[in-house]
Amino acid sequence: MRRRDFLHVAVASGVGATLGVPAFLRRTWAQGGPIKIGMPAALSGAYAQYGIQAKRAAELFSKDIKAKGVLGRPVEFIYEDTAGDPATAVRKAQKLVEKDGVKFLTGVALSSEALAVSAKCPEWKVIFMSTINGAGALTAKAFHRYFFRVNTSGPMGARAISLYLAEGPMKRFFALGSDYAWGRDSVASFTSQITAAKKEIAGTDYPPVGTKDFASYIAKIRQSKADGVYLALPGQDATIYLKQAHQFGLNREVKPIMEILELENMKAVGDAMVGAIGSSRYPFTVDTPRNKDFVKRFYELHGVYPDMFDGETYEGLEWLAQVIQKAGTDDVEKVIDTWEDSSYEGLEGPFFMRKCDHQAVQLGFAVEAVKDPKYPHPIPKILATYPGEKVTPKCRTEDFS
Amino acid sequence: MANLGEQLLNALTLAGLLFLVSAGLSLVFGILRVVNFAHGVFYMLGAYLGFTTVMLSGWFWPALVIVPPVVGTLGALIESTTLRFIYRRPPIYQLLLTFGLALILEESLRILYGPTAKGIEPPAFLQGALSLGSLLYPRYRLFVVALSLVVALAVWLFLRKTRAGLVIRAVAQNSEMADCLGADVARVRTLVFGAACALAGLGGVAAAPMTTAYLGMGISVIVDAFVVVVIGGLGSIGGSIAGSLIVGAAQTWGAFYLPETAMVIMYAVMGAILIFRPWGLFGEEE
Amino acid sequence: MRGSRALAALALVALAVVPWVAARHQLSLLTDLLIYGLFALSLDLIMGYTGMVSFGHAAYFGLGAYASALVLIHFGQPVPVALLAGALLAGVVALPVGWFSTRATGIYFAMLTLAFAQLLYTLAYKWRDLTGGSDGIAGVPKTTLFWGGPSLASPQAFYALVAACVVLSLVLCRALVRSPFGHALEAIRENERRFTSLGRDPRPFKLVVFVIAAVFAGLAGALFAPFRGFASPEVMFWVFSGQGLMMVLMGGIGTLVGPILGAMVFILIQEVLSSYTEHWMIFTGAVFVLMVIFLPDGIVGTARRLRMRP
Repeated sequence: MRRRDFLHVAVASGVGATLGVPAFLRRTWAQGGPIKIGMPAALSGAYAQYGIQAKRAAELFSKDIKAKGVLGRPVEFIYEDTAGDPATAVRKAQKLVEKDGVKFLTGVALSSEALAVSAKCPEWKVIFMSTINGAGALTAKAFHRYFFRVNTSGPMGARAISLYLAEGPMKRFFALGSDYAWGRDSVASFTSQITAAKKEIAGTDYPPVGTKDFASYIAKIRQSKADGVYLALPGQDATIYLKQAHQFGLNREVKPIMEILELENMKAVGDAMVGAIGSSRYPFTVDTPRNKDFVKRFYELHGVYPDMFDGETYEGLEWLAQVIQKAGTDDVEKVIDTWEDSSYEGLEGPFFMRKCDHQAVQLGFAVEAVKDPKYPHPIPKILATYPGEKVTPKCRTEDFS
Repeated sequence: MANLGEQLLNALTLAGLLFLVSAGLSLVFGILRVVNFAHGVFYMLGAYLGFTTVMLSGWFWPALVIVPPVVGTLGALIESTTLRFIYRRPPIYQLLLTFGLALILEESLRILYGPTAKGIEPPAFLQGALSLGSLLYPRYRLFVVALSLVVALAVWLFLRKTRAGLVIRAVAQNSEMADCLGADVARVRTLVFGAACALAGLGGVAAAPMTTAYLGMGISVIVDAFVVVVIGGLGSIGGSIAGSLIVGAAQTWGAFYLPETAMVIMYAVMGAILIFRPWGLFGEEE
Repeated sequence: MRGSRALAALALVALAVVPWVAARHQLSLLTDLLIYGLFALSLDLIMGYTGMVSFGHAAYFGLGAYASALVLIHFGQPVPVALLAGALLAGVVALPVGWFSTRATGIYFAMLTLAFAQLLYTLAYKWRDLTGGSDGIAGVPKTTLFWGGPSLASPQAFYALVAACVVLSLVLCRALVRSPFGHALEAIRENERRFTSLGRDPRPFKLVVFVIAAVFAGLAGALFAPFRGFASPEVMFWVFSGQGLMMVLMGGIGTLVGPILGAMVFILIQEVLSSYTEHWMIFTGAVFVLMVIFLPDGIVGTARRLRMRP
């Protein structure tokens, strides 16, 4: 065989071999094997910190569930890295479903990934459990039977902090949202709720995603004489804003209010953000024995304190395990039926899975970043807790009464 | 009036950082004829190494002094072990090589530092704000403006007034001729590449107290740098200065008046220059 | 020559047989790889045959994907209609962009394509009412082959469509580069000044091939949307263009069939590596750097060179 032909064949064989063994040579899966949960998470790239949180939670849960299993079967997690790219996310999810035979997908970090992957789930007949994604549309316009959202959504977060501000002394607010879906939706949600509470919006602005210098916006915010500035900026943008606002001395004049007040920001920004308030989907400082135990075990395993998505993902996994146990099977249709209208006692409080849109009704928290010598970074102190019914929007919508 | 002064300073700060990043990119293109896609990653490397230096020494100033040479040396090493072998090939290869290098370097940083952003505080002397008439402006930003002015002057003087600068410019104009006349072209290329990376690294250190060191810094800044270099002219330091000022001003005032369309306008300007005057405002027509 | 014909026949047979022997996920993966292969093939037309390096090629893939998604979701037309819409939109946009871009050469051309692509990306990102903004458009269905025709929902059926499109495109592109038009393109790539000095204007040639390449990229994008079920701005981002360039290089610039293979290898490496380690990007980057230095002609290019040795 000539060398050139050899090379062609070698590559073709390589491609073929990587694609795997032909179908008719595969064994059929054993019944009652492990319960498989696929996690196509963003483990690399700009949004890696979110995917990594999901993975951390899964690792702890994996450890916790090891002794008992679910339905007497072990629980197996299969992680794939999507790099925060929707096309990769769908490809990985498809591989998890078709090759690994998972029936549950979770840990997807970005809303754009979630929308793309979730849209395929009715076709694949697998359950998509959101523990991170905030996009309101997922339980509204884009809702379908196989989608479940365990986490607080974006509108719910905006609602919690709006409720807190409605009762407070601040009157004028500036709203700064990154120029993309979540930023705009969050600002819209906030402005409609805060004006309904008879407060004033002094101005809104939409910096592009990835803004590195907020100086001009800081100048505008200062000029607007607002009492507080509502920030719907993704992780790194928020970090940069907080740092620069601090350097301009703005944080003292105009209080930063964030739809998501997370540890990732507090670790990066440090003391410069002490005093910032906002909504937290899961503040690790919730004072219940269950949660304190969870935080302790989490810290022992990972050496860091659990952030919002660590907590929410753990809660989702624990709830899913309970539902499967209650359903007596991991058959997807039965799990869906069992999950609807069911309750769960989570780390942060009680949850209830609404049948109409599969949104988990749960407590809303308004928190403040405070300094505490026991911790290496600021921590979220709970300012107010709101019952689930007050912070969850009307079914299949993003509106509140 | 305070507002105009503040905006002016904002624009200068941004221009200063942009200059530190884009000057190197411009030089590398002018002299090596290489579009270095890894340039943004050296900027990011500077920020992260700056963080480490501050952590280890407890001081900010050592970072400014130590990090750029370290980054520069790494750059020179990379150039002499990879790029050097493919200069004779069509430019697409160098472009793709730097693209691949960017992937490797970026992921290495992620392994070393993890995904959380790393914050640095400016040195105590530069914290807080300075009172300038009715305006209160952060001291650290003023420092960045001053630093970039000094560096710009130093680089310009070096290229224009020193013998080494003359050799570099000769290689830029006609490398074969310069080679015949006795210049060690390979060495010049390695040094210039290293110096460009050092400049980017310095930019990273300078930026870190303002933006923290974070993954994604590299990709974020590279497009800005390209815009600056295209407008100013590939290969011209004066062009980098002018381009930085223009882009800095445009982004600052654009963010104030038209935040949503500022980027679009930038791309449009970049496009227009490439069509009608591709060598930029200060570059030389080829 | 006989060797290559036999190989081509073998490849066609393999492609045809795959739906019967491959497991479901293998078929999905192969369909995915073929779509990217088509994208890389289209890029090779301008890169390999005219020597133009475009950093904005992903924009046409994206335009194809969006057009296809909108046609399928809002009008429920058969897939080929969506394919036509995608290819057309890509071609139509490529006309003015190409007209402007081809006024520049070399690195300036590359920068210009980058600028235009970023403009289109920003447009897709912000025009939320039409494109869904940063969330993109999800839930794109696979409809039918023609009005009242068979459904393309099954993996086998859709695979067949994609494979047919890719093979057809390859055949058309080969015919194109072997035509007098194609020879003119190569002459431009080899020495543009000489071409001009012989009294011919390279610009119309460059523009035409730019548009043709965009059309094929749009076709790839139009296949992508129903296959993956969505369209989003990421597929228009310049990083994806850069990956396209890498795919072409890995396969072999100017070999047409090489880039298809290169795309497959590129994605497969990432797929396999990312299942083993989170740090797969280092290995991908390293593979890439090594290829640029040691295997600049790519897989197929090196194979052809070896074959020509006495």
